[in-house]
Amino acid sequence: MFELLGAGIVNVLQFKYLIPLFVGTLIGVVGGALPGITITMTIIVVLPFTFGLEPLQGLSAMIGVYVGGETGGLITSCLLGIPGKPSAVATTFDGFPMAKKGEPGRALWLGIWASIFGGLLGAVFLVATTGPLARIALQFGPWEFFSLFVLALSMVAGLVEASLAKGLVAGALGMIVTILGNDPVMGQKRLTLGIPMLEGGIDFLPVLIGVFAFAQIMSEVERMGGAHKAIDAVQRGVSLAVSHLKIILEIVSRPLLLLWSTFIGLAIGVLPAIGGSAANMLAYDQAKKFSRHPEKFGTGTPEGIIASEASNNANVAGSLVTIMAFGIPGDAVTAVMLGALTIHGIQSGPLFIVQNATLAYGMFAAYIVAHALVLAILLVGVRWMLRIVEIPKATLFPVVLVLCTIGAYALSNTMSNVYVLLVFGLFGYAMVKFGFPLAPFILGVILGDQIEINLIRAIMTDANPWLFLTRPISGSLLVLSVASLAFAIWQHYRQRARVATEVEADF
Amino acid sequence: MSRDGIAGLAVLAASLVLFVLTLDLQDSPMVPVGPGFYPRIVLGLTALLSLGLVISDCLAQRQRRSEPPVAVATAVAAKERLNYPLVAISFGVFALYCIALPGLGFRIATFAYVVASNAVLAPPRGLKGWAGSVTLGLLTAFITWLVFERYLSVLLPRGRWTQF
Repeated sequence: MFELLGAGIVNVLQFKYLIPLFVGTLIGVVGGALPGITITMTIIVVLPFTFGLEPLQGLSAMIGVYVGGETGGLITSCLLGIPGKPSAVATTFDGFPMAKKGEPGRALWLGIWASIFGGLLGAVFLVATTGPLARIALQFGPWEFFSLFVLALSMVAGLVEASLAKGLVAGALGMIVTILGNDPVMGQKRLTLGIPMLEGGIDFLPVLIGVFAFAQIMSEVERMGGAHKAIDAVQRGVSLAVSHLKIILEIVSRPLLLLWSTFIGLAIGVLPAIGGSAANMLAYDQAKKFSRHPEKFGTGTPEGIIASEASNNANVAGSLVTIMAFGIPGDAVTAVMLGALTIHGIQSGPLFIVQNATLAYGMFAAYIVAHALVLAILLVGVRWMLRIVEIPKATLFPVVLVLCTIGAYALSNTMSNVYVLLVFGLFGYAMVKFGFPLAPFILGVILGDQIEINLIRAIMTDANPWLFLTRPISGSLLVLSVASLAFAIWQHYRQRARVATEVEADF
Repeated sequence: MSRDGIAGLAVLAASLVLFVLTLDLQDSPMVPVGPGFYPRIVLGLTALLSLGLVISDCLAQRQRRSEPPVAVATAVAAKERLNYPLVAISFGVFALYCIALPGLGFRIATFAYVVASNAVLAPPRGLKGWAGSVTLGLLTAFITWLVFERYLSVLLPRGRWTQF
């Protein structure tokens, strides 16, 4: 394992891999820092550039975006009080007050170093667990894969913030996309609705690009043209210089906080499609609960910044574990990575690490090296980032949509994917407006085919449907799916009851 | 009925229509289950879930009716005013771009789209503003074409009408 990792690091340090990794990391830091531009959007923009690259070059660039984006989001959180991305929201609670109190450098670098530590601790988990988990998954038959994918979908549908019913409907809608066009087992045409474009089925990448890009851009566009709130920013001329040794000591003198926040980030990352936005809030909440001075949270306490930033970078490692060991995307960013693997003809899943050990360990190495690059980029250019975030959205959005169009077109060099992008762009925006969560929809689109293939394989091997329940792993996974849905329902009713009690208490 | 109920009804209708279409699918002699087997499960499940959404919306609606009207009015007034016409125009401009792409070719269509979209989102003021929009359009079209066609070997659409 260590030999392969060492070889991976040496490999990634070659210019042909280091340059895409560096460029990806830089774009990630900038994209993460730009309020209104998420990491998903940034990675979608980078995707078409990876088509002409080798798999490790392309994946390195994407990992760079992911790591850079998670760290970049804290810049505006600390200095402008505006989170660059949802996973930096909790950083704002203490980062901005600390900066406003005259310590912007401390706030910023506490976040950056906590991100680095959280990310690198996450790397230990990533390298140590992916192989063993993939080996466990190798024992799976079609029954277990079917149940695993059902579990992933039910967890995502249950854990999203919107209602459980909407989460489940969104997941089911995603699965409907996969049944249009052709049957993945025998290739027979079905439900083409008389549209020739549908005969080959619908690629998931244009759907993903359309849904996420439009949902986000149009949600920003609808707020344009009105009065803008004045930003209560930290003054631009203020010094950001700090003693890095002091900052590092400030973080490592709180080992339990760092380890617990990292653990939360990893655990949330491993669960499909929950993401860094939940990780940073949960880690912040836990840090507050365990703190001896919870009353100081929200006033510029270092614990709040460390918890939020360590967890959101560790979250990246957790998401990578899920995709590399099971082939299930941990979030939208890894879903795009899954698409990139498919474009290069690489099958994700438990066989990935066995059949593509060089690539897998190259990805681990890219993840580790990306942290060093983030640090280097921010040491040199943190002040410039504040200027970059001033780019008007009216300039940014058309360029982003052109890159999305190229990304969709270049998948098969046909216009049909561009039309899919447009249709699902409208659909994604409508979903947002009707309050449907996007994550279960996308997971449904990604896993729908796999669920069908494994279901049919299982039935072809043995027509006894009870095997899904009587095989121990498959049965346990299905029981877990039911339990996760039951938990979501219980949580929903508990929350309603709490709201009702609070309303009554007002009287 | 609120937006949840409307969305639920739309999904229910769509899944039922598709479910009926699956009944025409012929079974394959090669596999024990035909191409319609899985779609029927998915569509049946979707129909049930969307029906659940409609029912829960109706129940919630009944509960909302029993709430004091002041609370509902306050919640409506608290909603942010959103610029939907701008969203509709932006979608329209992008749809035109997608339609024009095969005819005009990547470079011309992209230039036109970026200028139009930029002008829609932030109307240029005076000659300088227009010059900025045009420059952005030219740079986007030229740089993306150069990077993708020349360096990444991604062939971008040529115009059927313009041959460019």
